[in-house]
Amino acid sequence: MLGYIAKRGVHGLVSIVGASMLIFAISRLSGDPVLLMLPPEAPQSLVDETRRHMGLDQPLWMQYLIFAGKALTGDFGNSYRWQMPALDLVLDRLPATIQLAVAALLFSMALAIPFGVLSAVHRGTWIDNFGKGFAMLGQAMPNFWVGLLLILVFAIHLEWLPPFGHGTPAHLVMPAIALGWYPVAAQTRIIRSSMLDVLDSDYIRMGRAVGAPDWVLIWKYAFRNAAIPLVTMLGVYFAAMLGGAFVVEVIFAWPGLGRTVVEAVFSRDFPVVQAGVLFTSILFVLSNLLVDLSYGVIDPRIRRDG
Amino acid sequence: MTMKPAIGLLALAALCAPVVATAPARAQASGELTVAFGAEGTAVDPIKYAAGVDHYYIGQMFEQLVRPDPSLKETNWLAEKWDISEAGGKPVIDVTIRKGVKFHNGDLLTAEDFEYSFRKLRDPKVSRWSHLQAAVERFEIVDAHRFRLHFSEGDGSYVANQLQLWAIPKKYYEQVGEDGFSKAPVGTGPWKFVSRTVKEDLKLEAFDDYWNKEHRPKVKKLTIKIIPEDLTRVAAFKTGAVDWIDAVPPSMVEEFTKMKGVKTLSLVTGNNLFIDFNTDMKGSPFADVRVRRAAAHAVDVDAIIKSVVFGQGERYVQVGKGSAGYDPNLKPLAYDPKKARDLLREAGYPNGFDTPCYNLTTPREPNIKEVGEAVFAFLGTVGIRCKVQGLEYGAWIVMGRRGRSGPPIMDGVISWMWSQNLPGDPAIPWAGHLHSYVEGKGWGSYSHTADAKADAMVEELKRTMEPTKRVALIQEIARYKNENVLGGLTTYRPKVTFAWREDKVEFNPWPYPGYYRGFQDVALKK
Repeated sequence: MLGYIAKRGVHGLVSIVGASMLIFAISRLSGDPVLLMLPPEAPQSLVDETRRHMGLDQPLWMQYLIFAGKALTGDFGNSYRWQMPALDLVLDRLPATIQLAVAALLFSMALAIPFGVLSAVHRGTWIDNFGKGFAMLGQAMPNFWVGLLLILVFAIHLEWLPPFGHGTPAHLVMPAIALGWYPVAAQTRIIRSSMLDVLDSDYIRMGRAVGAPDWVLIWKYAFRNAAIPLVTMLGVYFAAMLGGAFVVEVIFAWPGLGRTVVEAVFSRDFPVVQAGVLFTSILFVLSNLLVDLSYGVIDPRIRRDG
Repeated sequence: MTMKPAIGLLALAALCAPVVATAPARAQASGELTVAFGAEGTAVDPIKYAAGVDHYYIGQMFEQLVRPDPSLKETNWLAEKWDISEAGGKPVIDVTIRKGVKFHNGDLLTAEDFEYSFRKLRDPKVSRWSHLQAAVERFEIVDAHRFRLHFSEGDGSYVANQLQLWAIPKKYYEQVGEDGFSKAPVGTGPWKFVSRTVKEDLKLEAFDDYWNKEHRPKVKKLTIKIIPEDLTRVAAFKTGAVDWIDAVPPSMVEEFTKMKGVKTLSLVTGNNLFIDFNTDMKGSPFADVRVRRAAAHAVDVDAIIKSVVFGQGERYVQVGKGSAGYDPNLKPLAYDPKKARDLLREAGYPNGFDTPCYNLTTPREPNIKEVGEAVFAFLGTVGIRCKVQGLEYGAWIVMGRRGRSGPPIMDGVISWMWSQNLPGDPAIPWAGHLHSYVEGKGWGSYSHTADAKADAMVEELKRTMEPTKRVALIQEIARYKNENVLGGLTTYRPKVTFAWREDKVEFNPWPYPGYYRGFQDVALKK
C-alpha cells in the first residue's frame, strides 16, 4: 500500500509541476499587468521601471525559474493588486472554498444517493420519474440563478436564512445548495444505472431467494457495490466544485478562493493566479488519491489485489 | 517645454479659510452601523493606493491637506492655510498645517510626517503615483507645522488634486514597516482601523480624539461589508442585514425611491465617459472634422442616459457641472441625424463607411457595455457602420494605450472613460487623451488625437497653478475641443445611488477624492 501511495505521490507531483508551468505560461499570454496597475497618465518611463522592478522584463524561462525557486521556499511573491503576500491571500481564502465545496458535495450526494437507489429499485414508477426530474432541474438551472432564487425565497420572503456572508452553518446552506444541485443529475444517473446492474446480479437474486429483507439487500449489499463508480467520480466533482465555486462565491459574498483567483486573472495578478492554481491542483491530486484509497475500504477485493 | 512666469506674484491666501475645530465637542459616539459596498479596495495604506476604489476605505481613516466638502467646495482640511508664491522664477507652495491634530496612536501631526509621506509617494518602488510628485524638486520643513514645496516647474494638477499628500505617522510607519502598516494602518481620520478581512469586511471605530469636532461620526462602530453582487447587496438591505448600501443598480433606483422608510440619494461620480475616434492615423475618416461632427450629431446621448442607464447619468460637455472651468453656456452638438448625413456627404462619404468599433465589456460602470452598443448603433444609422469588437478591461487598456513608436493600435472608434475627479479638473485626462502622443514625455498616453493648438493649450494648463487662470484656460480649451470634437465625444458622468434606512440612519455624504462614500457625518437615530 505504501508503495502504491508513493507511486501516486510522484504522479501527483508531476501533475502539479505541469500545472504550475502551464498556468505560468498561460497567465503571461493574457497581457501586461503593469498597464492595469498604473494610472492611465503614468509616463512610459514609469511603466518600464515598474516592469523592471517586478522582474517582468526578464525572459519567460528566467521568470519561471525565479518563481519556481521561490515557490519551493513558500514565497509566491506579492500580489500586484493587493500588495500583500500572494500565499497569505490564498491560504486565508482556501478554507472557505473547501468548506463550501465539501458542503456542496455532501448536499449533492444526500440527494443523488436516495434518488439513484430509489429510481433503480422502483424503475418506471412515479418515484423514478420524480427523482430523475428533480435531479435534472438542478442541471437545467445555472447556479447563479438558483442562488438568486434561494435568496429571494429563503432570505427575503421567508427570512429563514442570511442572504450573504460566512461564519455560521446557516450561512452555508444556500451557497451549498446553489453549488451542489448541479451535479445531482449526473450522480443520480450513475447510481441508478450501477444499481440496476447490481440488482440484476446472481448474489442479489440468491439473497432474495433465501428471504433476505429488501432493505438489507439494497442498502447493505447492492448499494455498496453500486457506489464504486460514484466514488470514482467524487474526486472529479470535488475539483469541479473548487473551480466552479466562483459564481456562487460572488452571489453570496462568500470569501473564497475562487472569487480571489478569478479576479486575479482579470487583473493579471500573476502571483495570486499561480499560488491559487497550484493549491487547487494540490487539492485535486489529494482528493483523487483519497478516492483511490477509498476503493479498498468499499471493496475488499481491490484491497487484496492491491 | 519652457515654463512661463504665469504663476509668480500670487499669494493665494484667499483659498484658505479654516473649516472648523471651533465648535464644542459633542457627546461620545455610540451604537453600531453595518453598511455594504459593492467594490472592495485593495490597499488600506494611502501610500500604496492603486485605484479610485481604494479611496472608499482609505478616505475613512486618512486625510489630506485640502478636501472637497459635501457641496464640492475645496476646503482647507489638515492645512490651516496655504499659498502659492515664487522663488527664483519657480513656484513654491507654502503650507501651514493645523495644530493639535492627532494620529490614532496619539502621535501629533507635524510637517515631518508630510515630508515622510512625500518621500514615500515619490518612490516608484512603493507608490504607483510617483509621477504626480515629479515636479516637486524639494520639500523644505520650515518648522513643526509649516513646510514648503519647491517646484521645478508649474504643476497645476498638484493644486487641482488637493495638494496630493496624505498624512501618515512617520514614527509609527518606520517602526512597523510597510507590511505592518498595511495590517494596522494609523491615520488622522474620523475612523480608526479595527480589522480587515479581505473579501469580507473592514471594521472601524470612531476616533474619540478626532480634531474636527463639528464633522465627525456619532456612531461608535462601523462595519463595511463587501457584497459585489448587486442583487445580493439589495437583498442584504431589504432583509435588514445592512442599513446602508452603495451602488443601487440603476434599474432598481425607482423602486428604492418608492420604498417606505428608505432614503435614497443619487450623486454624480468623478468618472467621465466619452467616445474617442482615431484622428491620428493616415487615411482615418475621423481625421476630417466634418466626420467627427457627423458622429457627434448622430448620437442621442440623452436617450441613452434615459433608456440604457435608467437616468443614472448626467450629460456633460467637456467639463462636468461643479468642476473647475465648467461653462453652462457650452452646449453639445445637438442630435440631428440629417445634419450628420449631410456632413458625411460633404466629407466625401455619401454612402458612409465601415470602421472598427471597440467596446468595453467589463462592467466598470453600470451597463457600460450596453451604452457602447447603443452609441455604435446610433453611428450606424447615419452610415458610420461599426464592426463591433468587445474587449475585457485588460485588452481594452492595451487597445487604448500608446507608449510605443508608430501608429496606435486603436484604428477606429472606442468607448472610453477618464475620471476628472470631484469636484473635477480635466488637466490630467486632457494631457492623456487630448494632447497628442509624445514618446517618452508622458503626453498623450491614451491619445488618438494630434492637434498642435490643443497641445499648446494643454501644456499651458499643466503649467498654470493659479486657479482663476486655470478656469479661463479650461473654458477656452473646452470650447475648442467641443467645436472640433477633439479628444473624443463627451457623453455622460455616471451617477451612484446610495440608500439607507431613514428611521435609523442620518447620513450626509462627503466626497473623498472623486468618490462620495465618506462616513464623516453619520449618526444613528434613536
